[in-house]
Amino acid sequence: MRLHPLTSLAAAGSTAVITTAAASLPLSLAVMGAAVALSARSGTARRLLPAAAAVLLPLGLSLLVMHGLFFPEGRTVLAQWGMARVTAEGLAFALERAAQLGAVVLALLVFSFSVSVPDLVAVLSSRGLHGRFAFVLASTLTLLPAITSRVERIRQAQESRGLVVRRGLLHRAAAFRLQAVPLVLSLIEDAGTRTAALEARGFSNPGPRTSYRAVPDPRGQRVLRAALLAAAAAAVAARLLLTQAGS
Amino acid sequence: MSAAPHSTESLPVLSAGIRSFTYHGDGLPVLEGIDLDLAPGTLTAVLGASGSGKSTLGRLLSGWLPPGTGGTLRGFLELAGTRLEFGAGGDPRINPAEWGRHVGFVPQDPAAVLSTVRATVAEELAFGLENAAVEPQAMKAAAEHTAALLGLTEFLERDPGSLSGGQMRRLAIGCAIIAGPRVLIMDEPFASLDTAGTAGLARLLQGLVRLGTAVVVLSQVVDAPLLAAGTWVVLENGSVTGSGTPAGLQAGSGLLPPGIRASGGAPAPAVDHAGAAHADRLLPRGGAGVPALELRGVCFGYGTRGNAANGRTTWRRIRGGSTAAHASAQVLQGISLRVRRGEIVAVTGPNGAGKSTLLRHVNGLLRPTAGRVLVNGRDIAGEPAGEAARSVGLLFQQPRDQLFERTALREVRFGLDRLFHPDEAAGRALEALSAVGLAGASDAHPAELPASGQRLLALATVLARKPAVLALDEPTVAMDGGGLALLDAAVRSAAGEGAAVVLVTHDLDYARAVAHRVVTLDGGRLDG
Repeated sequence: MRLHPLTSLAAAGSTAVITTAAASLPLSLAVMGAAVALSARSGTARRLLPAAAAVLLPLGLSLLVMHGLFFPEGRTVLAQWGMARVTAEGLAFALERAAQLGAVVLALLVFSFSVSVPDLVAVLSSRGLHGRFAFVLASTLTLLPAITSRVERIRQAQESRGLVVRRGLLHRAAAFRLQAVPLVLSLIEDAGTRTAALEARGFSNPGPRTSYRAVPDPRGQRVLRAALLAAAAAAVAARLLLTQAGS
Repeated sequence: MSAAPHSTESLPVLSAGIRSFTYHGDGLPVLEGIDLDLAPGTLTAVLGASGSGKSTLGRLLSGWLPPGTGGTLRGFLELAGTRLEFGAGGDPRINPAEWGRHVGFVPQDPAAVLSTVRATVAEELAFGLENAAVEPQAMKAAAEHTAALLGLTEFLERDPGSLSGGQMRRLAIGCAIIAGPRVLIMDEPFASLDTAGTAGLARLLQGLVRLGTAVVVLSQVVDAPLLAAGTWVVLENGSVTGSGTPAGLQAGSGLLPPGIRASGGAPAPAVDHAGAAHADRLLPRGGAGVPALELRGVCFGYGTRGNAANGRTTWRRIRGGSTAAHASAQVLQGISLRVRRGEIVAVTGPNGAGKSTLLRHVNGLLRPTAGRVLVNGRDIAGEPAGEAARSVGLLFQQPRDQLFERTALREVRFGLDRLFHPDEAAGRALEALSAVGLAGASDAHPAELPASGQRLLALATVLARKPAVLALDEPTVAMDGGGLALLDAAVRSAAGEGAAVVLVTHDLDYARAVAHRVVTLDGGRLDG
């Protein structure tokens, strides 16, 4: 069954909220596993994993440094260098936070890699979202593929003139150095022309607009969305209650 | 010109009196002394060489270059009875959307029209209607009608990004006419269209004119359909130097500047027509040796994974939303072709036949799913495209895809340093620039060159390396007369020095004039 974009958005959003509210390591790890499995099944894992790594590695490392080394409540000291103490509690806390964050990021990435952007834009426009905003959103989601294909075109032009790009990440990274400046310049130039075309096609019209693309929204999915949102709200409420009860 | 006197039955829908138009930051005006009245139901051709100001005029008239933000206009624009005076202080502002409802514009680069966020040709066509809140049923009908007019019906569900050059142009025209503008301005619309496409567009224009649209075609080529225009306006260096009926302007020869060329006509070449037609005699002897380029049973289809250079291009294309049927289509089916040193072979065929795809196999940007590509007898299968490029120079269909540097000289020098001593590289770069007549523009930004200049610069980047095989994709498109003469001389001189030349073109007349041999690619097979 094809998911309505708002359903997948609700699913990703509520998963993120519930995982954060639950703050449970097993749940976070389960969500992460499920997200990776889902993306592998839909064939987006090749793109999703590098993106997730780019977001999560720096964040995870900073969590580790923050809590692993400087965790005031830490009692079980594993190692110590002056001010910095590695404590078991700190490491556990860092791991828990990192897993939570990982679950949220992966859930949202699975959504953004799997959603049909035209469907999403059509749905948002038909729900009264301003066309310009919907366009910006769509452009953001299509930006990475657009940049990738632009870099590829520039690289092909350069290869046609004798730039040898061998297989492997290092070679590609070295070659990208030559493509970065042309890429930025061409994107800027492109934006200029494209603006004129979009304006002339009434893109900035303040009035109402319609959508050519019809996105079916079956009743079952509407119910599912409501249930997901209710579950997210319940999770937040439960968390607040527990916190209050605990304090 | 001030064509027809204002009569009640044909009041112009769009008039312009441009005393001068200057881009911000430029000292000199790009347009001066232009008076234009466009009456309903007329076809006007604005003829001028590359760089004459045609595109600026087109964008100014169509609201793509609003005076004020884009540059300084002195004069007036009058649309549907409302006159806007500029240059007297407190200039009015043009609302591009409002203007665009009356005036449709198709720019020279058709891909610039695309919204980039629409998944199918049908949705792209409907984009303007969506913004005007047209009902879905009406939009669907309009998209289907427009697609039928332009022969795009079978592509309605295709990803716009997957269209060929000619199909993309038809889509851009569709986007401009779908809302029924009263004025339609097109910049080089016949460029890159095959014979059937040109005839189809000519019929479409006639239909629009009959329905009362004022159609303006900006062109540097006197394409056959323009002979039926009511008025020709000749633009030279930003000013109108002549106007009148086609018959009048053609009869008084000398009124058309040399930069404007007749459709398909090659420029007066060094070799006369008869000589070119029987050029086999001029081919160097000893053709029995290893051919400079040989394709043996080359097959290719977008969608069979792993055949593009490093296996990525194809994958992306499938993901790009093309239909499964398209994805599995075999574009090339067992292509075999031998090109000897010094031989010029032209590959013609309809739009979307796979001509550009074929050419990209020659230097390894695409890899065949079956068959082999040999350059000087060497199979290039295992070589990175960059290495194969030492012996093969490829001119891309869109020069903008080929140019990425900041100045023309840097552009030509890119990659030369890897092959030659720096002094020799510099010498070759300058030599190539002067071979294409751009010696004076070595510091110019490639994007600022006129279309013809961009293609010539791209050609210079190829020529500078003196490759054994020259592969040229639609080299005549957007070339004015002067540019075509330079191209022609460069191609003949390269072949004379022993390069094998494969050129892909939809322009059969040009192909016959320049090539020793013309082959046709259709339905994935090569005939001829």
